[in-house]
Parts: sequence; structure tokens; C-alpha cells
Amino acid sequence: MSLRPTTGTTPGRLPAAPPPLRVRDVTVRFAGLTALDEVSFTVAPGSVHALIGPNGAGKSTCFNVLSGLYRPSSGQVLLGDETLTGRAPHRIAALGVARTFQNIVTTEGTVADNLMVGRHVLSRAGFASTALRLPRAVREQRAHLARAREIAELTGLAARFDTPVALLSYGDRKRVELARALCLEPRVLLLDEPVAGMNGAERARTAEVIDTVRAELGLSVLLVEHDMGLVMRLADEVTVLDFGRRIAHGTPDEVRRHPEVLRAYLGTPGEDAPGEDVPGEDTPARDAGTRGTTAQGTTAQGTTAQGTTAQGTALEEATDSEGDPV
Amino acid sequence: MSERIPKGAVVLLAALLLCAPPFYLDAFWLRIGLFSMAAAIGAVGLGLLTGTAGQLSLGHAFFLAVGAYGYTWLAGEPGPGLPTGLAALLAVLLAGAAGGLFSPVAGRVRGIYLGVATLALVFLGHHVLLTADSVTGGFNGRSVPPLSIGGFSFTDDDPGLVLLGVPFGAEERLWFLGLALLAGTWWTARGLLRGRPGRALAALRDSETAAAVMGVDIARHRSAAFVVSSMYAGLAGVLLALAFRRVVPDYFGLALSVDYLAMIVIGGLGSVAGAAAGAVFVTALPLLMTRYADQLPLVTAPGTTDGGVGPTEAARYLYGAAIVLILLYAPDGLRGLVRRVRTRLRPAPPAPAPATRPSASALRTKEPTP
Ligand SMILES: Nc1ncnc2c1ncn2[C@@H]1O[C@H](COP(=O)(O)OP(=O)(O)OP(=O)(O)O)[C@@H](O)[C@H]1O
Ligand SMILES: [Mg+2]
Repeated sequence: MSLRPTTGTTPGRLPAAPPPLRVRDVTVRFAGLTALDEVSFTVAPGSVHALIGPNGAGKSTCFNVLSGLYRPSSGQVLLGDETLTGRAPHRIAALGVARTFQNIVTTEGTVADNLMVGRHVLSRAGFASTALRLPRAVREQRAHLARAREIAELTGLAARFDTPVALLSYGDRKRVELARALCLEPRVLLLDEPVAGMNGAERARTAEVIDTVRAELGLSVLLVEHDMGLVMRLADEVTVLDFGRRIAHGTPDEVRRHPEVLRAYLGTPGEDAPGEDVPGEDTPARDAGTRGTTAQGTTAQGTTAQGTTAQGTALEEATDSEGDPV
Repeated sequence: MSERIPKGAVVLLAALLLCAPPFYLDAFWLRIGLFSMAAAIGAVGLGLLTGTAGQLSLGHAFFLAVGAYGYTWLAGEPGPGLPTGLAALLAVLLAGAAGGLFSPVAGRVRGIYLGVATLALVFLGHHVLLTADSVTGGFNGRSVPPLSIGGFSFTDDDPGLVLLGVPFGAEERLWFLGLALLAGTWWTARGLLRGRPGRALAALRDSETAAAVMGVDIARHRSAAFVVSSMYAGLAGVLLALAFRRVVPDYFGLALSVDYLAMIVIGGLGSVAGAAAGAVFVTALPLLMTRYADQLPLVTAPGTTDGGVGPTEAARYLYGAAIVLILLYAPDGLRGLVRRVRTRLRPAPPAPAPATRPSASALRTKEPTP
């Protein structure tokens, strides 16, 4: 098993350092709601960049802009020198941007079938050559299947390679999506809550996979995740969104201490900036549990070193307590 | 699939069985077989479009007509009078081109909306067939020039041919042509489904957004699926024309399109074998009921007008009922039924038991809620 595509047998992308992914002043509006408000950040080449924020903060919307599913009202997304905004999703994929979805989206069929969909952009065979089973098409398919199997091994799905996806456990299906994205041999990998709904062992396994592919393949990862432990462990940089605005940015440690972040996650009465529209119970996308004025929220105001660690855990608990995101 | 019997043996056995009928059955049965084979080719094409790509088409009859009339005109007297083999090939390409002309619609319009859009094709086609007399022969249609390839003609009038003591007339000869075309259809369609295009189509059927972010050009694949499906329909049309020996406009109506949908639903969406099985069922049933009308209860012989149900209508009711039953009890059609029976008969293999059963709601998450 090798992490890099075995050159010569598998047509793939050349393993070069990924270009930076720059998000510049992106604004997305849905009828009356500003889901993203002039958001900017840069995913440095080869880094893991986490995008966090409470429910409804606009993280998935941001992903949809990056992968070309939504057109922003204004702003720009650049991968190196290429502008991604305005491009069709399949063209963005061809540039080496792969993603997973917050809720699992797989195709009927086996794990192999799904991973082979991920090989689509890297292969050429068209309708005619496939229908006539020309040697070229058959050879290509065989090479890509071999690479898909390698990626299945890498993600711990080798034993399930020929199993229908519908029969897999939740965690395994989540991992199929990750493996399928890796099958694009991406330069930038966008992961929308890759461990949500997984148990502890599965989380550790997935975290390990993310760590490995980042290190070995040198790709950049943009990670949306509510599991703060995972974010703190994997991320080099963190951008925090709340109500579509970027409220904080920095290393995991900086962000963890950031007062705005604590307020966004835990809600602190009386501490809100004047004039800002404070989230009320009437905001539908928020669930009261993560937002409400809790006892934790009050203690979180403490500024001692001890307090900070307490806040860290509280932050984690608060975000973990939400339901299954699917 | 078959664990003990090697796959090659199964194919060989099936081939032998399929080659046998001309030596034992009379022309009536052979014609049923021929119509079934033609229908199977068309159904495989529609299955690719509807079952695999998730695009509904009610315009299949139109492309069958393009194939049938295309061949008749290209090879026939008012018309260029091309060599028949070439005419057959061009007729298939013509059907594909007709599908291609429709691709701006077929690439953009999705699911059942495409079904509505293709409805127009059937009416348009029928109208043209009735009015373009010089090409189509109008209401009375045209007689179909028999196919002859390399001096071998698929007709009765060449009296010399006797195989194993059986005189080989048009039906016997066409039977083998039909088999060859069906085998070609089967082989290419399965290649497509298991290859890159088939996977892409299945992916865009299950989730357009997921397919798009995997790099699938949605519009292009949708229109390509439509073109390929039209070409299979064109081929089916050519074979039908040869089997009927006459093409008439009324055959290529909306009812025919619906018949093809029935075939793929009964057979099981997304499978080549299922489409073929459904095609045999839907095609053979009315013909058999017509033949045995006098022996069936509640069914009157064709032509009588004593208020009973004619055999064709009775067949329609029957397969209508079959569709309802299948949708209720076997949503994956005959194919799924066969598979389930097979797994039940076989001693349970040490299945890779999933740690936890996925919840039903998560099982088929269609579109991401981004
Ligand atoms: N297609 C859409 N049409 C209208 N509103 C939308 C659409 N997509 C997202 N929104 C709204 O935009 C806001 C941001 O949603 P988004 O899904 O990006 O949040 P999120 O940060 O991913 O939250 P979560 O952690 O729950 O996944 C929400 O208020 C949501 O209701
Ligand atoms: Mg989200």
C-alpha cells in the first residue's frame, strides 16, 4: 500500500505542493438572510485549517461556495491563480478540490462503485469506448480500481471494498465519503463534519487518516467540525464564524481563549456588543441548547488559567451535546 | 454471482437454449420471440436512461419510429435505396442524432419533467408520420425492404436453406439476427453500466450535487445517456420493422412508450437482465392472450363485439396489475425477486455483518441539504 499514486500504472495528478486557497470577502444571501458576510480566510498550502462556529453559522454554506454549488453575491475564491467562483462544480473538482458532505451522500452500489466515482475526473473513457470495451478503457478502469483499493486500505475500508454501501455501519459510510474524496487525488480537501455521529474509536481512526493523508500527500485540508478535541488536535489554524461573520481567527489556542468565541458558543448575557443583533429564541437555525444562557456560560466568564481550561471543556461539551447532524 | 457453476458455462448454456427454438417452434412462436428481442433491446436503452440516469422519457416510441422508418426509407424505393445493411446502421445513427438534437432539453431538464418534455416528441412524431406521405407512406405506412447482408437475405423467398431438416424461412433467419443484436446490446450496455459513464450516471441519479462535486459534467452525461438510449431504441425499431415487414404510424404512439416504461419497471430499474425480462413479459403477454383468447375466461376473441374484454385490453389490465403488485411488493422488479429467491435458497454465507444496521432514513439520503 502506498499513499502516493503508483506512478506509471495510475494516471493521477502530479504530487506538487497545493496552491493556497484564498477566500476573499465572500458574501452569500438567501432571501433576507445573510448566510456569509464578507468572510475572508486563507488555507495555507499543506495545512489543516478548521472552520468552526455554532449551528447555522454558515460553515456548510461556505463549503458550497468553495465547491461551486452556490454563487456568492460578492467576493472571490482563488486556488493559486485560478478563480473558483463562477466555475461549475465539476470544473472545480477537476482543479483538485474534493469535498465530503455533512450528511452522507453515497451512490447505490458497493464501496468500490463509490470510490470509482471519485476517480471520474482522473479517467478519460467515454461512452463509446466503454460500451465497446476497448482495451484502452478496460486497462484504464483496472488501473483506477487498483488505486481505489489502495485508498480503501488507507482509510480502513479494504475489508468492505465489495460490500454494498447500504449495509455498512454509519461510521463506515462516513468514511466511504472521505475515501471517495481522496480518490480525486485532491490538492485541497474540504471535510464537512467528518466524524459527526461516530463513536470514539471511529473518530480516532478518521483523525488518524486525515493526519496521514495531510502529511504524506501534502494536501491542504479545510475542516468543519464540532468536535473541538479533534479540531484542536488537527488544526494548524482556526477560523470562527458566527451568523455568517468571521469573529475570530488564529491558532487553536488563541481561538479557544477568544472572548467572542466563548460568547458565540456559550452565550453570555449582558456582554453583547451594543447595536449587534443578538440571537434570540426566534432564530430558527439555532438550537437553544448551544445558545441558551447556561450555567456553563456564566462560569465561562472567569479569566483565570483554570477558568480557561474549564471553558475549553465546556465548549466541547456544549458543541457535542447537539444531535446527529444528518 | 453463481458460486459453483462457472460463468462461462452459464453463458454457453443460455446461448444453446436460445439457439434451439427455430428448430422446434413454428413461426407464431418465433415471431413472439422476435418482438420480445426487439423490445428487449429498446428496453435496455430506456433502462439506461430511466433506471440508471434517473431520467424519465415518454418519447421512446419516437426513437423507435425513427429507427424503423429510417431503415425503411433509407433502404426503400421512395428513398435512397441504400444497401440494407448500411441502411440499418444509418438508421441507428439517425435515431442517435435525433436524440442529440433533443439534448439541449435532455441535458438540462431533470427527472419527471423530462418525461413531460418528451411527451411532445411522440405527438410530433406521430403527426409527421401521418403527414409526410412521400417518406413515411402516410396512414397506411410502408412495407419494409428485407435485410440482406453479404448476399444472405433474411426472407422466405430464397428456398435453398434447410438446416438440420428444418426449412429456414424469414422468422428462423431473423431469430438469429435478433439474438446477435440482443447479445450486442447486452454486452455493450453492461460494459457501460459497469464502466465510468454508468457509474457517473448512477451517481448523478442518486445525488446531482454529489456527482457534480466529484467532477461529473451533469448536463453532458444526461444528454449522452439520452443519445445512447435513442440509439438502442433505433436499433430496436429496425428489428421491429424487419419482423413486422410493414411499418404503420399508429403503432408508434404514446401507448408504446408507456409499454416500454412498464417493461423496465416490471423488470427492475437499472438492470440489463431485468429490462430484457420485462420486455419479454410485456410483449409476449398480449400476443399469447390473443392466440388463446377462446380458452381464457372473460376474454373474447379479437373482432367480436359482444361487450367482453378483448385480449389486448386484457393483457394491458394484467400487466397494469403486475406493475402495481411489483411496486407494492418488489420495488426492484423481477431482478430483485430473483435475487431474493436465490439468496434464500442458498445457505447463508458468512456475511460481513455490519456493526450497526444503518437507520432507514440514513440509508437513502438523496440530496444533501447543504
Ligand atoms: N439553500 C439555502 N436557502 C436558504 N437558506 C439557507 C440555505 N442554505 C443555508 N441556509 C441558511 O444559512 C444559514 C447557514 O447555514 P449553514 O448550513 O451554512 O450552517 P452551518 O454552519 O453549516 O451549520 P451546522 O453546524 O448546523 O451544519 C442557516 O441559517 C441556514 O438556514
Ligand atoms: Mg453545516
